[in-house]
Amino acid sequence: MRRIAPSAPLSRFILAVLAWLPVTFAVWYLAAPIILWPAVLLAEWAARAGWGGLVSAVDQHAAIVAFTTTLKPGAVVAGGVVTVDVNALLYSFGLPMFAALTLAAREPQRWRALALGYAALVPAIAFGIDADFLKNIAITAAPQVTSQAGFSAVQREAIAFAFQFGSLILPAVAPAIAWVLTHRAFLERVRRTEA
Amino acid sequence: MIRFFVLFLLLLAVLFGVELTPWAQRWFVEPWTATLAKIATSLVALFDSGVTVSGKVISSTTSSFAVSIEAGCNGVEATIVLIAAMLAFPAPWKHKLLGLAAGIVAVQGLNVVRVISLFYLGQWNRDVFEWAHLYVWQALIMLDVLVVWLVWVRTLPVASASGRPPLPPASGAPAVA
Repeated sequence: MRRIAPSAPLSRFILAVLAWLPVTFAVWYLAAPIILWPAVLLAEWAARAGWGGLVSAVDQHAAIVAFTTTLKPGAVVAGGVVTVDVNALLYSFGLPMFAALTLAAREPQRWRALALGYAALVPAIAFGIDADFLKNIAITAAPQVTSQAGFSAVQREAIAFAFQFGSLILPAVAPAIAWVLTHRAFLERVRRTEA
Repeated sequence: MIRFFVLFLLLLAVLFGVELTPWAQRWFVEPWTATLAKIATSLVALFDSGVTVSGKVISSTTSSFAVSIEAGCNGVEATIVLIAAMLAFPAPWKHKLLGLAAGIVAVQGLNVVRVISLFYLGQWNRDVFEWAHLYVWQALIMLDVLVVWLVWVRTLPVASASGRPPLPPASGAPAVA
């Protein structure tokens, strides 16, 4: 016989998540320049560490990350350099999703869970930003630009996979993983109660 | 829990890698995406005759608007996440197969709703369409995957869900898994 506990029924939790989502999405969008700042810093650090010769500056304008490269656009634009703009919102919509899940669960240490989840998601966001940048200069840019970047065929394949994984899987899966890991007790209660 | 996450991430990487191969794209992803477009168009046609489908493109005959169902919007990645999560979790194979069948229907069902809603949102307001397309529906579909997985986990025998054998009954009767 299954025990009906007073807390954490799944249907009530789902409704709470749906109620929190508009709030968390609004906060995420309005505060994006601040919320995304650590991820942009990490993305810049990783880009300079991995491909320092290709990156001369990384700037953040609201949610847009502008990479200024050392690559030349070709003979058509003499003296210029290639810049790549990456929309960091594309890789960070998991933040409001994680926040909504965490706030809906109403666990005692929800602020600690929010901080842990945020810390865990920042590298995933930075990964998506850098993979987008690399995809631009290694694959989708004009041939005269991609040839200057100097990536081998194998490296371009790896960049393509990283971009696909960083845009299609990681932004949505990372918050779900972070939430499950920070809410094991809640999940156990949900599992043992009626919907 | 560690075993589950390691297996989950491994399965996720393998399944996603297979999905990106030209073979899988040609024989599975592209036909499925075209089928999804046909299903969505058939449902829309029940109340709106001004819609046509060509391959993975759904078009309005009353406006110039059309949507093309691309990677990330065909529900394949969400389905892969669900498959990896159910296969990685310790459970009897019967439960896994039943869960996968019901879960895939649930995920793809909501994805049809996503496609139809985006088709109309795009005709109404392009900014709202972009927001719903790029952010909101992405989160909702993954939320759907998470909820389906949670519901499935609730249906599992305790021994499977916890990874431990059930406690022996107090009466001394043999435990039945």
